[in-house]
Amino acid sequence: MINSPICGLLGIEHPIIQGGMAWVSDGTLAAAVSNGGGLGIISAMSADAGYLSRQVARARSLTDRPFGVNVMLMSPYAGEVARTVADMGVSVVTTGAGNPSKYMKMWIDSGVAVIPVVASVALARMMERSGASAVIAEGGESGGHVGDTSTLVLVPQVCDAVGIPVIAAGGIADGRGFAAVRALGACGVQIGTRFLVADECSIHDNYKDKIIKASDIATVVTGRRLGHAVRSLKTPFSRAYLKAEYDSALPDEDLEKLGVGALRLAAVEGDAEHGCFLAGQVAGMVKKRQRAADIISEIMAEAEVVIKGASEWAV
Amino acid sequence: MVFEKIAEIIAEHLGLAADSVSRDSSLEDLGIDSLDTVEMVMQLESDLGVELELEGKISTVGELVDFVESKL
Repeated sequence: MINSPICGLLGIEHPIIQGGMAWVSDGTLAAAVSNGGGLGIISAMSADAGYLSRQVARARSLTDRPFGVNVMLMSPYAGEVARTVADMGVSVVTTGAGNPSKYMKMWIDSGVAVIPVVASVALARMMERSGASAVIAEGGESGGHVGDTSTLVLVPQVCDAVGIPVIAAGGIADGRGFAAVRALGACGVQIGTRFLVADECSIHDNYKDKIIKASDIATVVTGRRLGHAVRSLKTPFSRAYLKAEYDSALPDEDLEKLGVGALRLAAVEGDAEHGCFLAGQVAGMVKKRQRAADIISEIMAEAEVVIKGASEWAV
Repeated sequence: MVFEKIAEIIAEHLGLAADSVSRDSSLEDLGIDSLDTVEMVMQLESDLGVELELEGKISTVGELVDFVESKL
């Protein structure tokens, strides 16, 4: 059994938080992760408050355990979605793709535990001061929106800079990764990519196949030119996008249009040609489909073996 | 005074001469992303001894100066 201050804080059994992934993290997956003892997360993605309400209701019909909502701050509906999180009494909110300062007071006043995803020390410090319960330090190995600094480098610096619990994300898919970030000072992990292949994850089968077949060098970062770097699998879409980014004759607006709808095409349609299949570098380590609960128990059991065995490394 | 301080921080951050930063300079054109902005705001806080709650998007050096001055 591995203990962690975030288990008591969030009312969960194992310190594993599921990543908030657009078109992936719905109420069904979140409930499966929570039922497995982790913290399931519903992604509010770029949908409106009505979508989020339905997903929260869905999760509540499937689990009595706590779960959270991820608010993607670049969403045009971020404001109404933020309000819904507070109104529906969701216990935890994680945030991504920006600085959630303007919503922090509302959430905290409503009793929501706020756990922002941060990609820098300065943002982590700002979030601690604004009342965050913990931060998720997410390295550039992650899938989806990413910063540049890697997990190995970011996590210890964030741990040194803040007094609140730090959860590590980016590049973690098994018990070894869990133990490694525990050694860096993190007291829990956020995992996205491995849950893509969970039985309860409703994405298209082609997407799951691509994750299972992915190698260590299967992902690429696009979108740097527009300031929204995103990691996804190398596909015809991502290669074409990368090429377009270097085409200085192409206006930014046209580049932006290239990406519209590509996440849905990947997750819902399984469109291998035009879809954008978000995934972390760790996709290369994800080799089998499992129930979400089994993913969690396997990671925790492996982590325990590594952490207990580590005492033999020093004499 | 705030402008000079911000220009100095930006110049140090980017390895530029402070006089190459003007009020009209766009942060994006200077190559400053949102994480850089947060870092500079935190540095301004400790240098100026104020609390700066960064809420809206800041696009130019002049907007950052106005924002900081409104908090002094």
